[in-house]
Amino acid sequence: MSEQTLRVVIVDDEPLARALVRELVAGHPGVEVVAECANGFDAVKAVSELKPDLMFLDVQMPKLSGFEVLELLGKDVPVVFTTAYDQYALRAFEVHAVDYLLKPFGPERFAEALSRARERLAGREALPVEALLADVRPRQTPLERVLIRDGSRVHVLPVDRIDYVEAQDDYVSFKADGKQYLKDQTLASVEACLDPARFVRIHRSYLLNIDRIARVELYAKDSRVAILRDGVRLPVSRAGYARLATLL
Amino acid sequence: MHPILARGARLALYVAVWAIGGTLLAALLGGTAGLPWSQSLPLAIPLTVTYGFFCLSAWYVSRSMPLAATGSVRLTATAVTAACLSSAAWLVLTRVWLEALARRSGGFDADRVFGRIAALVFGFGVLLYLLSLAISHLIGSFERARETERRALEVQVLAREAELRSLRAQIDPHFLFNSLHSISALTTTDAGAARRMCLLLADFLRESLALGGATRIPLARELNLAARFLDIERVRFGERLNVSIHDGDAGACLVPPLLLQPVVENAVTHGVAHVLAGGTIRIAVSRSTSMLRIVVENPCDEDRPRRTGTGVGLANVRARLRAVYGPDARMASGEHEGGWRVEMSLPLERGAAE
Repeated sequence: MSEQTLRVVIVDDEPLARALVRELVAGHPGVEVVAECANGFDAVKAVSELKPDLMFLDVQMPKLSGFEVLELLGKDVPVVFTTAYDQYALRAFEVHAVDYLLKPFGPERFAEALSRARERLAGREALPVEALLADVRPRQTPLERVLIRDGSRVHVLPVDRIDYVEAQDDYVSFKADGKQYLKDQTLASVEACLDPARFVRIHRSYLLNIDRIARVELYAKDSRVAILRDGVRLPVSRAGYARLATLL
Repeated sequence: MHPILARGARLALYVAVWAIGGTLLAALLGGTAGLPWSQSLPLAIPLTVTYGFFCLSAWYVSRSMPLAATGSVRLTATAVTAACLSSAAWLVLTRVWLEALARRSGGFDADRVFGRIAALVFGFGVLLYLLSLAISHLIGSFERARETERRALEVQVLAREAELRSLRAQIDPHFLFNSLHSISALTTTDAGAARRMCLLLADFLRESLALGGATRIPLARELNLAARFLDIERVRFGERLNVSIHDGDAGACLVPPLLLQPVVENAVTHGVAHVLAGGTIRIAVSRSTSMLRIVVENPCDEDRPRRTGTGVGLANVRARLRAVYGPDARMASGEHEGGWRVEMSLPLERGAAE
């Protein structure tokens, strides 16, 4: 493994911090910097296109935090976090980061992180990041926005713009502003992340933003249909109607 | 709750004092109406103790009319009216009690005795009520004085705490760690810049430690400190951070030290740091004849999650302004033209240089 070149991406919004990692990498002949990114969007793009072996990732960045970048890319690339804040360390371990470098760090600590990354890559263990994130999330406050990766692009969807979420085979589809966004996730885990006072599971396949409901009509015996403000009709199961009734 | 009724021991003492008053009344009744002790004591003591509870109302009368805030005519009129009403009610009670005593033990004619003692009882009642009122006023002013003292002390403690808090916030360890990281990066690429950054950091730390002890400093020094802080942050953020400071010819005015610092820090960490393209932090000062106005504006990420409340940093600044200036200073913060704006108005204090 050590024969093979390690291709890394550096993500930090501060030019000097990127320069330092670049300099430290230069001391390791088997490592090559394939991209430097000043923000999370660029990082998602770079990782999608270049498929690097390792990412050095700052936590506090504009638009997308390091953790949000990891959520979008977690399955694709191992991550070493770099930050001046020690309070994220626990969370970093929960999402199986390879290492957590506290700024300021020097060549010794950096070399340690690199060798950990090589070990991790040699093991090629599958990282259950999705499951871990889903496991961590419900204990925190409800999501404010949903991140959706579309190839190398990232959509940031504030939750109040979401009309409803629909389960589709292995994906879920978020409907917002007349568009739909696909995400590789289960409807149950989406439901667990969103505010239960605003989003209600009206049906096995539908999670609805209650602000969008215009009315609910009886469709047939024991089956109802929710009519949204824009006229869209969604089925409401009996259990879904009971949940809806307690909220409204 | 009435202070007398609040505790059992106080109530017992109060009843005892009124029982002594009752004995006095009994002696007077013996003198003017010629009642023997065997009749005057059972008459006077229960009546007077009962009247003691009437007189508890004097406390509320005194509370509704603080001495300082009420005119003397109104004060006297209310006091006399309340005393006469209470005493009249007491007189009715005296008549009823006299009747009951005469029926039970006999030996005297209730109507005749009442005719002889009525004026005395009424006068005694008025006097006792006025006395209660005076004592209530006395206790009231004692309590107010103590309350004022307590509040002054509280303000002092709060001011000290805010100062300590803002000092702690001042030397934010993450700011230091990030700055050291930048210096560490510069040492190999640009040694001169690394040295300049070290000096900036040292200057900033020395100045902020020195200012912490003062109660007021010239605004120019405060702005200077903010400028130095932003210089250091500009080394980290590069072209993304721009700064514009206008002192509005008010540099010599006095302000509490480190007042701006938390606001400027917020402008960087919650403002410019979240905007991809960066932006400009504007600090603008203007003055009128009596007020000093300081405005800090910074751009924000338009997609940021909206949080309720204004955060700990701004809450501290607000508490500090209140502790120092009371209601004379104001602070407002909110969204303004897509960014964030904090506006402080404080009483103008001219410095020695003017």
